[in-house]
Amino acid sequence: MSRYMLKRVLRGLLTAAVSVTLTFIIVRVMPGDPATMLMDPRMTEEIRQQILHDFGLDKPLWVQYLTYVGQLLKGNLGVSFRSLTPVAAVIWSRLPWTLLLMGTSFILTILIGVPLGVVAAVKRGGACDRVINAFAIAGHSIFVPWLGITLLYLLGYTLPWFPIGGACDIGVTGWEAVSSVARHLVLPVTTLTIINLASYVLFLRTGMVETLREDFVRTARAKGVPENRVIFRHALRNAFLPTVTMIGLQLGSMVGGAVLTESVFAYPGVGRLIYESVTQHDYPVLQGTFIILAFTVILANILTDLAYAYLDPKVRFEA
Amino acid sequence: MSEVKAMSAAADADANVDAARVDARENGARAHAPGVMRRLISNPLGAIGLTVLALMTLVAIFAPALAPYPSGYGNLDEMSLPPSRLHPFGTDDMGLDILAQVIWGTRVSMLVGVAATMLSLAIGVPVGLFAGFYRGRVDAFATSVIDIFLSLPVLPLMILLGAVLGPSLTNIILVIGFFSWPSTARVVRAQALSVAEQQFTEAARAMGATDARILLKHLLPNVFPPIMVNMVLTVATAVISEAGLSFLGLGDPTQWSWGRILENAHRSGAFVTAWWHTLFPSLAIMLLVMSANFLGMAINEILNPRLKRR
Repeated sequence: MSRYMLKRVLRGLLTAAVSVTLTFIIVRVMPGDPATMLMDPRMTEEIRQQILHDFGLDKPLWVQYLTYVGQLLKGNLGVSFRSLTPVAAVIWSRLPWTLLLMGTSFILTILIGVPLGVVAAVKRGGACDRVINAFAIAGHSIFVPWLGITLLYLLGYTLPWFPIGGACDIGVTGWEAVSSVARHLVLPVTTLTIINLASYVLFLRTGMVETLREDFVRTARAKGVPENRVIFRHALRNAFLPTVTMIGLQLGSMVGGAVLTESVFAYPGVGRLIYESVTQHDYPVLQGTFIILAFTVILANILTDLAYAYLDPKVRFEA
Repeated sequence: MSEVKAMSAAADADANVDAARVDARENGARAHAPGVMRRLISNPLGAIGLTVLALMTLVAIFAPALAPYPSGYGNLDEMSLPPSRLHPFGTDDMGLDILAQVIWGTRVSMLVGVAATMLSLAIGVPVGLFAGFYRGRVDAFATSVIDIFLSLPVLPLMILLGAVLGPSLTNIILVIGFFSWPSTARVVRAQALSVAEQQFTEAARAMGATDARILLKHLLPNVFPPIMVNMVLTVATAVISEAGLSFLGLGDPTQWSWGRILENAHRSGAFVTAWWHTLFPSLAIMLLVMSANFLGMAINEILNPRLKRR
């Protein structure tokens, strides 16, 4: 188990190094002057000098690279063009909203997705299976922003049940604030969950279909184990393993869905920050958001690996 | 065994509707391209997918004949009109016909989808072939790179590169193509691994064939069938990526793509009141992506007849 985790952590560190290097290459090596990419003409001379010094923009590339990594390790992601404040601070203030949105959607996806996947696999070929499959294919093909816009149009505008944007009403406190946050969360979470469900259900279904054909399932049935127990104790536990790996690998694309969803609903998370930064040509923020999102995904991946290690006795008991 | 299963499931995580692809590899899918076409047409999913994609290609090619290019300010009396006989898809907030935008958008969206896929093939096929053929360290390195790229949040990465390069049609193709190759590389690698073990490869080597000859004459033709499924799905993903990037404001502002129509609706606020402004371009995206998925599933079924019985 410890060797398994060590490997996963090393892989995570390597991925982190690759994402940092990629951003460096994209911003500094691509055609165009890195100084203009990282410095806004509106900046005061003082801030310009500070950035020149922090990132050594006048030095050779490899020195710049090392300085860049050094600054990153200190938590310095540069200065936002738009607000002229440190990028790291801007992102930290937005990150909780994104984590709330993605976390809620993630839990809902599991809660709804597991039963759906099991039903589809157990009754495969039946009406339920067909409906679930059709839904999953439709969910794959739908354009995320449009799903959001449609929900907004139907449940925010035509029937004004939910707020059409933002994350919380201004000036509310206590329980009112909690309920306001919850109401603002409904439409974005629904959007993201529908998209996520589409992929998870199919994977769980395939995993279940394969597991149900295994010898140990037949043995359990032959022993007279009740069907419910066969499905939930014997098959699901095993089918769940590949799904856990899947969840880890899908996190990256789940972030993409969150970026689009937040943009539609003006939800003040990191995704919306990206949307705003694109229009403002705020490169330092774009660079910082990618790094922070990549790190978040890497961390979440290590957590899923931990969960995998816990779920799979072969890894858990490995010396 | 569960580890193996986890790996193969993990190996296909990125793709679209493709749990089935796991089997494509396990069975070492092998088929001959000419027979595939005939069987595709007799497969219902394949027939639907092919027909829709063919129609959309025609719309893309003949866009100039089908509708005038929507430009400038439209008729000021016709702003934000719901669908009518004169404007079947309605008009936007500038009074421009949305049907015309969707028709011209077909052109740009499909061009981006196909061109980005070509680019991802140009990178992914060699990487996968080398990894599968040379194995050992080359393979370990290539596999690590592929896995890392697949686990990163690609959309924010595309956004960063797109923003730095600036909005243009060429750049959006480059950005999408450059980050789409890992899934192609993985499919090619898996297939190359199994083909490299076949006796004919060994025979070729025994006869003194060079590495280059084995790669080009033996491996390349044999990895083609499974690539077809991947190619079709990559086009679909690329079209969705283009729409997403354009929606976020990274598209070419001089070209009508489906994503740009949606971006216009979103930025102008028209999307809250004019449902037709967002419905039709989104339906177009959905139709294309769904047909591509159908086609991919059909090719998969043909390559692996065993799948049908599941």
